[in-house]
Parts: sequence; C-alpha cells; structure tokens
Amino acid sequence: MSQNVPRPNFCGRTRREFLWQAGGGFTGVALAAMLGQDGFLSRQTVAADGLTTWQNPLAAKPPHFAAKAKNVIFLYMYGGPSHIDTFDRKPKMTGMDNKTVTVKTFGRGGHKNQGRIVEPRWKFQQYGKCGKWVSDLFPHLATCVDDIAFVHSMTADSPIHGSAMLMMNSGKILSGSPCMGSWVNYGLGTVNENLPGFVVMLDPRGGPISGAKNWSSGYMPATYQATVMRSSGTPILDLAPPDGVTRPMQRQLLDTLRNYNEQHLQSRVDNHDLAARIASYELAYKMQSSAPDAVDLSQETAQTQELYGINDPKAGAFGRQCLLARRLVERGVRFIQLYSGGNHNDANWDAHGDLQTNHDLHAAETDKPIAGLLKDLKDRGMLDETLIVWGGEFGRQPTAEYAKGTGRDHNAYGFTMWLAGGGIKGGVSFGETDELGAAAVENRLHVRNLHATILHQMGLDPNGLTYFHNGLDQKLVGVEGAEPIREIIA
Amino acid sequence: MPVSRPFLLTLVGLSCMALPTPAAEEAKPVSGTAEQREFYTQQVLPILEAHCLKCHGAKSAKGGLRLTSQESIIQGGDTGPAVSIDQPAESLLLGAINYQDYEMPPSGKLSPENIAVLTRWVESKLAGAPQRVAAPESHDEPGPPPVNEKTKQFWSFQPVVRPAVPTPARSPWVRTPIDAFILSRLESNRLTPVQPATKTALLRRATYDLTGLPPTPDEVTAFLEDDAPDAFERVVDRLLKSPQYGERWARHWLDLVRYAETNSYERDGAKPFVWRYRDYVIRAFNDDKPYDQFIREQLAGDELPEATTEAIIATGYYRLGIWQDEPVDPVQEVFEDIDDLVRTTGEVFLGVTVGCARCHDHKLDPIPQRDYYRMAAFFRNVRRFGVRGGDSVEASSLIDIGTAEERQRHDAQVKAHQAQLRRTKEQIAPIERKVKADLQGVENDEWKHPKRRPEFVKKRVGGLLTQQEFDEYVRLIAQREQLERSQPPGLEKALCVKEHGRTSPPTYVLVRGNAHVQGDEVTPGFPSVLSPPEPKLVEPAANATSTGRRRALAEWIASESNPLTARVMVNRIWHYHFGRGLVRSTSDFGFQGIPPTHPQLLDWLASDFVDGGWKVKRLHKLIMLSSTYQLSSQADAVALEKDPANDLFWRFDMRRLSAEEIRDSILAVNGSLELERMYGPSFYPIMPPEVLAGQSRPGAGWGQSSDKDRARRSIYIHIKRSLIVPMIASFDGADSDASCPVRFNTTQPTQALGMLNSKFLMDQATVFGQYVQSRVGEDPTQQIAMALRRVIQREPTGEEIQRGLSLIETLQHEHNVSQTDALRYFCLTALNLNEFVYLD
Repeated sequence: MSQNVPRPNFCGRTRREFLWQAGGGFTGVALAAMLGQDGFLSRQTVAADGLTTWQNPLAAKPPHFAAKAKNVIFLYMYGGPSHIDTFDRKPKMTGMDNKTVTVKTFGRGGHKNQGRIVEPRWKFQQYGKCGKWVSDLFPHLATCVDDIAFVHSMTADSPIHGSAMLMMNSGKILSGSPCMGSWVNYGLGTVNENLPGFVVMLDPRGGPISGAKNWSSGYMPATYQATVMRSSGTPILDLAPPDGVTRPMQRQLLDTLRNYNEQHLQSRVDNHDLAARIASYELAYKMQSSAPDAVDLSQETAQTQELYGINDPKAGAFGRQCLLARRLVERGVRFIQLYSGGNHNDANWDAHGDLQTNHDLHAAETDKPIAGLLKDLKDRGMLDETLIVWGGEFGRQPTAEYAKGTGRDHNAYGFTMWLAGGGIKGGVSFGETDELGAAAVENRLHVRNLHATILHQMGLDPNGLTYFHNGLDQKLVGVEGAEPIREIIA
Repeated sequence: MPVSRPFLLTLVGLSCMALPTPAAEEAKPVSGTAEQREFYTQQVLPILEAHCLKCHGAKSAKGGLRLTSQESIIQGGDTGPAVSIDQPAESLLLGAINYQDYEMPPSGKLSPENIAVLTRWVESKLAGAPQRVAAPESHDEPGPPPVNEKTKQFWSFQPVVRPAVPTPARSPWVRTPIDAFILSRLESNRLTPVQPATKTALLRRATYDLTGLPPTPDEVTAFLEDDAPDAFERVVDRLLKSPQYGERWARHWLDLVRYAETNSYERDGAKPFVWRYRDYVIRAFNDDKPYDQFIREQLAGDELPEATTEAIIATGYYRLGIWQDEPVDPVQEVFEDIDDLVRTTGEVFLGVTVGCARCHDHKLDPIPQRDYYRMAAFFRNVRRFGVRGGDSVEASSLIDIGTAEERQRHDAQVKAHQAQLRRTKEQIAPIERKVKADLQGVENDEWKHPKRRPEFVKKRVGGLLTQQEFDEYVRLIAQREQLERSQPPGLEKALCVKEHGRTSPPTYVLVRGNAHVQGDEVTPGFPSVLSPPEPKLVEPAANATSTGRRRALAEWIASESNPLTARVMVNRIWHYHFGRGLVRSTSDFGFQGIPPTHPQLLDWLASDFVDGGWKVKRLHKLIMLSSTYQLSSQADAVALEKDPANDLFWRFDMRRLSAEEIRDSILAVNGSLELERMYGPSFYPIMPPEVLAGQSRPGAGWGQSSDKDRARRSIYIHIKRSLIVPMIASFDGADSDASCPVRFNTTQPTQALGMLNSKFLMDQATVFGQYVQSRVGEDPTQQIAMALRRVIQREPTGEEIQRGLSLIETLQHEHNVSQTDALRYFCLTALNLNEFVYLD
C-alpha cells in the first residue's frame, strides 16, 4: 500500500518548486531542464524561462486525470439566500411562526441562544422524478430538479459578508489569496486565447462587498485574475479602440509597431519576452473581434432569448448574463462567475428587513434565466461538461433578526448550495440541517469540500494542485486539504 | 503501508486496569476480559472505523490524536488527553461526540446508539482496546530539521566573514572588487564577459535603476559628449543626488513592507496619515540614512532614546497590513495580526520564513514552533490597528506630532472654542427651560428631538415669549450649530505603533496555531538556529507606554553580528540592480532558499556594507562602477550555450520596466510629469467607470485630484487594496496583502489593450503630440525624430523615421486622418514600442 502513503505534507515543497516561484517565476530563471523531469510541475509551470520558446501561461494544460467538466459557471447569489425558504424544506416549522425557541445562532448581530421563529414564507411542492421539494420562489428552476444535486449541509467559517465571500471565492477568510477561477486557469489554462479564461459578470446595481478582492488572483500573477465582462456595451475594459480609430487604422498602427519591434528583436532573439510581447498585441487585436462577437446576443433565436427571459423586465439582466455565459462556455472560457445581487441592503439577497419582498425580487430575477440556462445547455448536449454551481456565501437563520418583521440574519452553521451538470448526479439531495435549518447536522460539509468537488470535476486533484507562496505550498482547499463530495458525483 | 503491529508495554498511570505482564512474544490486544474485547471489536471498533479513524487513525493523526490504542487515546493530542482515566465521564472524547466543546465527527453527530456504545467503552476505561499500537513508520519524508550543531552550520546562519578578494587573470577588466569575484568565477568556467554596454544603453540603465525615469535628451547628449574617464561616475553621483532617487528606491521598500493605504475587507477603509510613512522612506533613501538606523526606527522608533517625530512615523511600519475590523473570532484575529508582523519582519529583515512555524515546527527550516512564538512575544503587546471604528483607530494607531508651540496654540484654540460653546448653551438653556415647563401631551415626547424644539418655542411667541426673545433663540441655535460644526483644526497626526502599556500579557505556544489552545508559555527570543544572544530586555520606566521588547528585537536585527541582516539587504540591492539577487530567493535564505551563485561576493558585500556604515548609496556606487554592471545585454553564443541563465553574470540581463516606471515614463516623455510635487498625501488617478462598477458602492473611497496632481509620479497613487489602478495591476504591480520581494513579469493581452485603447494612453498620446508640435513645428520628419528620441533615448535611424513617416502618410491619405491626429497616433505607437518598455 506504499503508493497510498499520503502526499507530501503541505510544507513539503521541493527546491524545484521554489525556484519556479522565485525570481519572479516567469523570467530569467533557468528552469525548463529541471522542471522537465517532473511531470506534474512541468504541467503547472509556465515556460517563459528564457530558454524555451515562449508559451502563453494560459495555454491549455492537461488535467491531472480525466475531467468530467471542462467549464464552470458559478451562479453567485450574493448576500446569502435563505435555504429554508428555497430548497431546504422544514415542515416542522409550520405553525411555529413567532414562537420563541432556544437555538444557537451567529450572524452580524453576534451570538444568540434564542430567537423568534420566522416560518418559511413560501409554500413547497414536489417536483420531478426525484420528488424534490422546492419553494414557490422558483417555479421554473423547480422543473430542473432531476438534473440537480442539492447539498444541504454546507458550513462556512464566517457569517460576515466580507470574510465569508472571500472564503467562498478564495477558500480563506483572510484577504490576499487567489480565487477559484484563478486556480482553475492556473491548473488548466484556457483553450481559447482570444478570450479571458476567468470571467466575472456583475449585477447592474453594483459589485459585491470588497469588490475586486472577490475575483483577484491574490499572490498569483495577474495573468490569472478575472476579467470583468459586460453583457452590453463594450464587454471588456479598454477593448474598443479609442474614438476615431477604425479597425483598419488600428491594423495599420499595429503593423507599424510590429515592424519597429521586430527590428528591435533582431539583435535580441534570445529574449523570448520580447517575442511574447509582440504576440500579445496580436492576441489583443483578435480579442477585439472575438469578445464583441461572444456578447452579441442578437445571434440567438427569439426562442432562445425567451428561454432565458431576456425580455422580461425583472429577469432580463440576469438572463442576458446567463445566455452570455453559455456562449462563453461554447468558446472555451473555463470559469465564469455571475453575480445575482450587488451593492448593499436589499439590492442583493441579504434579507435583513422584509424577507418576502427581498427574496421575491431576487428569485424573480434569476429563476427563469437559471432554468433556461440548464435547459439550453442540456438541449445542446453541453450540460455534461459544464458544471453549474449555485449559492451564496452563507444561508440565513430560522429566527428573526429584530423584534419585528421577517428579516433573517446570516447563517454559516448550515446552508444549501446546489450543483448540476459536469459529472454531478441529478435528482439527489445530500446532507441535512436540523429541524429549523439552524445548523448542518448530517454529513456536514465545509466550503472546502465544495471547492474540492469543483476542482475534482475539472480533472484537478484538489490536494495536489499547489502554488508555492510565502514558504508554503498553498492550495485552494487550504493546508488541511479536503475531499470532494463523492456522494453527489455521478 | 506499515503494518499496525500491536505489542504490549506497561502503561504507567493505567494501574487501575488489569495489565498483563509485558511480553516479547507476538502480542494481542488483551486488556480487559474476553467479553470486553469482544465488545470493543464488535461494537466500538466499527464505529471508530466508520467515523473517526480516517483522521485519527494509523495513517493520520489530526490534532496529534490517534484513537488506535489505550495509550494513544490517553496521551491524547494537542488539546490534551482524550480520555481521563480518573474521571472517564469528564473525558474530552465524550464532550466531542456530544458536540459540546468540540464537534466530532465534523461530518455530523453520531447516532444516540453509537454515542451510547462509545460512552460505555470510555466509562469502562477503554477496556478491550489494544494497549499500544506501534506508531506507523514515517513516510519517506524526513521530519522537520532540528536545531543542532549541524543545522547551525548552514551558510546563511553563520557569521559573515570578509573573504579575500580573488585575483583573476584578466585583471584590466577588474574595476572594483565585485569584478574580481565575478571574473574569477567566469574564468574558472572558461567564459569571458561580453563587451561593455554602449553609452546610450548604460545611461538609460543607470537612470532607470536609480530614478525610475528615462534620461532626458539633454542628459543623453551631455553624456555622449563627455569623454572624461569619470564621466559615468559623475552621472551616478548626479543620479544619487536627485530627489527622484528616493522615490524610486522607496517603491522597492514599499513592496517589501506591503505598503497600502487601506485596510482591505468589507469596508476597505483608508488608513489615516499613512502617507507620512511613505515620505519617511523616500527621505530615508534620499538622505542615505544608515540601514541599521532605518531598521531601528521602523521596528522601535518609539522606544529609542531619541524618539523623534521621524522615528515615530517610521513605526507606521506596523500599521500597513490588512486589518479585519469585524473578525469572526476576535481572539484568533489578534494572532492573525501578530502573524503578519512575525512573517513580514522575518522575511523582510532576516530573509527567514519564520511564519511557517506558526502551527507546527517549520517543516523545511530548523525553526521550532516555540521559536515562532518567542518571536511573536516581541509583538504580543502591540495594540491592534483599531477595534472597529475610526475613534478606535485614532486611539490605537494615531499620535499628535505637533511641536510644543503648535500644541500650545491648539490647546488655547480648543479652550476658547469650548468656552464660546458653553456660553451659547447657557444662553439657550433659560429659554428652553421656560418652554419645557409649558409643554403639553405629545409635545413632551417630541421635545426630545432637539431639531424640533424651535417649532414649540415659536408656538409660544406672544404668550410665554416675545418675538424678540424668539429671534434671539433662533440666533443662538444657529450659533451653536455653527460652533459644533467648526471645531478648531486638529493637530498634525501620524500613524504609528502603540502598545497596551509597559507590561505584556504572557505569550503561549498556540497549539496548531489555534489561539484558544494555549501550550507552554514563552518569553521573547530570537530563532535559536542563529545561535543568537538572549534579547536585552530592560525593565521599562514607570511612565513607559511600551515594553521595550521591540527595541530589543530591533537592536539584534540591526547589529553587526546578525548573520542575516546585511546579507539580506545587500542581496536585495543587487537584485534591484541586476534583476535577480545573488540569492534569487531574496526573502528566503533558509534551507529551501536558492543558494547564492556567488557566496563569497555576497559575504564580501555584506561585510563591506557594514564596515561602510550601512550606507546604501555607497553600495549603489560600488555596484554601478563595476565592469560587471556596465556589461552589454547582448548574447554571446558560447556563453548562452554554457550558462543560459546567466548565473555567472557574463552579460547584463535585459529587464522590462515596472508598472510605475511605465506610467512615469509616459508622463516624462510627453513633458507632463510633475516632479516638483513630491511628498504628501496620495492622489487619485481617473478610474474608469467600468472598474468602479466592481465596487459595492461604485466610486466609494475614490476621490478627485487636480490634473496637475494626476501627473505626479506613480508612487503617490492612492493604493486602495480592493481597487487597483488597471495599468498598475496589469503590469504586475506588487500585491500588497503580503510582502512582495520579487515582482512578477508577465506578458498578456490586457496590457496591450490598455496601452492601445485606454483613455489614459490616448490622453497622454495627445499631450505628447502637442508637446512635439510645440517644439519642432509641423515638419513630420522632425516630429517623428523628436518623439522617438524622447521615447527610446537615442538618435533614431533613418529607417525608423521613414517607418513613422509612412504611417503618418497612410493615416492621412488612406484613412482621412488630420495631420494632428496622425501625429497623435504615431505618438501612441511610439509609447507601445518594446524598446520603450525594455532596457538593455
């Protein structure tokens, strides 16, 4: 069983790995010969070492093992949807409205030991072959339950938005680590150099709390950070040439630039960074045509547009983003994150005040688009290789936050996320919270398990995908490591 | 897989159990009766196997705990014995499975039946379980390196001894001792250095290295015309004297100390007066402050005998990191902050990754966990940046730095202001008293809101009060508001370190880094593998506001006998000149660091640095006047084949400009850079709305600046951790959440997009075109020559000018672009040249 000996522990990096990171990691260090001997590392290493021909650090790399999913769409429900009002049915709460009960909670209001029950405000019905109970908030999505694996026993380290979002996106409650999309692109690269490998789309009402920290590449190079894309207007920052510059004019400028740069290169051919920079201008030029093409939703049939609800006044914005996400997946973008909700207060799922108004709004904005996305992917045979992840940074408490009203405070002790496609079982539910949904009790899972599952489905070993920084082999799943949620993997 | 071979040994402290005689023969787990053994194997073991042994079994011992034998259970893990034999019912194990203090197994509480089985077993004092199981054989990997005579011999832990300067054969090439070290290594590898760089390349290299800016065309001409043997030396002297030198080198230091101006996290609030620290660093470089003093001031400026304002500002070092103002676990958060200080201080000043020993002994370096906490003890008494709001930051991290007169004047102003406010209130009071006595019903409630009072007063005009009295009342209310709004201006303040008082709380080793699980108490101390002295801790004076511990740390780090400090700093300076250190891992001189390519040279430099009074400018000059520094970057086929990474310095490595250099150079070549606006608070460049849209409150925390301020050098850009200027981010500016010893150097299409299409670039190209036009008029040949001369700092060739001309002509004739616009687009093209952003 010696092959089963645990991997080198988290600090057990080799000098080779260290070399790669030192010296900027990307230039000036002679690594290829050394790294070439190590299969895993050479796959993880960019070759801009001054020795070998330059290679885009985002060039596609083989996974650690056969991947079930090629792309991820993370539907981020910012603010934290209430699990007991959506997918985690609590029949025993019926009739308990306004009763004061003893229950341990921890939210922005601190630790509490009792509270006043706010009975779930929506009716639940059973759907699909699996008979999953879904609340009336999601009439469209409810028809997709046979393709979805619900995970009801999620837990996170923080019930405070800022740190909880960092946790969900980067695996740590501390600021400064790369986000999941950075890890996936670091591990796999991208198959389409003309588009970014990690795309984030924001709610029109604003970004989430902590802004760009939620899509930062942290201690990894900027190559792996997300590009914010918009579903209308200029899709990417600085993508459009300045006013007055036509595409043929720009070609003229670039040809001139190239001539200067090639002449400069002639006496410096051993410096591959110079060639790389020349190539990067051509990539940028191609991106200027491929990105607008990707966001051109008018290429879609009216039927498809309708499926996503893009003409619906409430669902239109998120519908456009979901449809764009599918088009990006078709074009090979590895990791796409969509934010439902932005800004503060009730502009996102953070229902501290009026639970009903809040969740009615955000569910109406997302229900049809998400159902449309799942159906469309399935019809096109793309769902098998596209992993969909739904959820927020935490759930909500069973009790009221204030003496009056229906607002619920944050709950990191137990909440629901769901996954679909990309090698995930459909029509299953895993893990349980207690009778009030206050805490996960059965098969408790941590955000790290979710991250491990996503990496695993992408063909990456969550405990083997490491990046050396600050004296440690860092991992998305942390030094402790984490196992994927095997019970929901097909 | 090692076989778990149980064998028997007497267990001290288990006398209450029926212990068999120790036996050497093949052993069986035989404690307890046959019945108990059966109970264990049939009922207990299956539960353990299903729920516990994956993490606490033969293969894994999370938290140091294995549930495989009586001995290992009683011995317990990091948090102590899992089962108490004296009081089994009180055992930690039972608490954990009942989800009291711990919650085990974490995947969900066991069924009541299972809990009952385990409880019965624990209460029987673990009867039936194997007494002892052989510890699994360790994996191939060796354990953490111990601190012993052998590990203490590691090169960087040894005192610096000045080596003899070698005498290579090709002596005329040798200008400085540096060259002697470099050349002798080249010679022994049968390599020869390439030709010296051209004068234009050398001037460009030196000017960027020392100031981060391009040489002006006049400086180029002057240097080309200067044939004196000391022409370059005079250039170096001139550059070292220029104020821009401090701005360039301060930026390197700011990377190391993770300088940023906000706290990250949800609010990402601004750090008040943080810019004073930046000014301090710029001045320190410009004044050539000795490095040992620079260390003492940053680490313990407030504890020095001469705690000058400047030295106190230097302790802003402690306030630069991220700060969680709403921690999930406030106790743990205290140690996150301390960890940031231990880590940063260890890496920046000592080149040791002490931070890796926080949860366990360092796996790769001989740094025991205890040593980590002894280092942490120096910072144990440091107050957190704040507790939550602005007031708490003020109390914990700000200090008045006004002079005595300023303070006197300020006190007088405050007194006068308070007196005036008091008088006003005294005049209001009698009127309000009269009305209050007359209030009816709900008026009594409404009266509680001061804003509503005037209407109730007004109601009583003509009765209780005269119109005149009411007018007077209105005037007094307005006056009070005015006074409350206009406090006298505050004293000048600085961001600085503060402690809780003169005695520190005790410091404990924290088991697995968990602040809630204290191990042994430790006292302040330095990493033992460095064979250090004990810290010189003195009893703080009765009126002291800190422990003096940081002073002890600073004195040791800044001492001549510290084996690492000087080596680490000279290596950094070498790194910033040559693009890589003699030790490439500039913040890791430990076992896993990259060994120096030139250990003798490193030690010679370190020793010379200390002997020369820790003077940085002297070291710059020594390096820059060497033949090694002045080599061409041209490749040589033989050398490239033999030493492709240029480990031996047979040539000078090309480098790309940093993000700040690129931006500053654009402003420099188009004539708009505001060099005079040095020091002071930061400015806000125009942030594209697309970037602001990523904020939860678009635009929050991003202010306005004048156009002139926006043309200041990049070191003065406001660094908001969650909102980085796109150009700085895409060209690999330092990520400021942790120390950045070496910047990345990526090439990616987003850089090209920004350089071609961004509003900033187009604006600057427009300014550049106007500048050129205003200097040389309408002749396109002249315009192109001038633009190129400014961008590449050499005389362009005829071919290069012709290429520009044909672009301008094509744009004008085939694309109907005006002459002015065509020039502007040429200027834009010029700013994108590889030659502009790469140095030979």
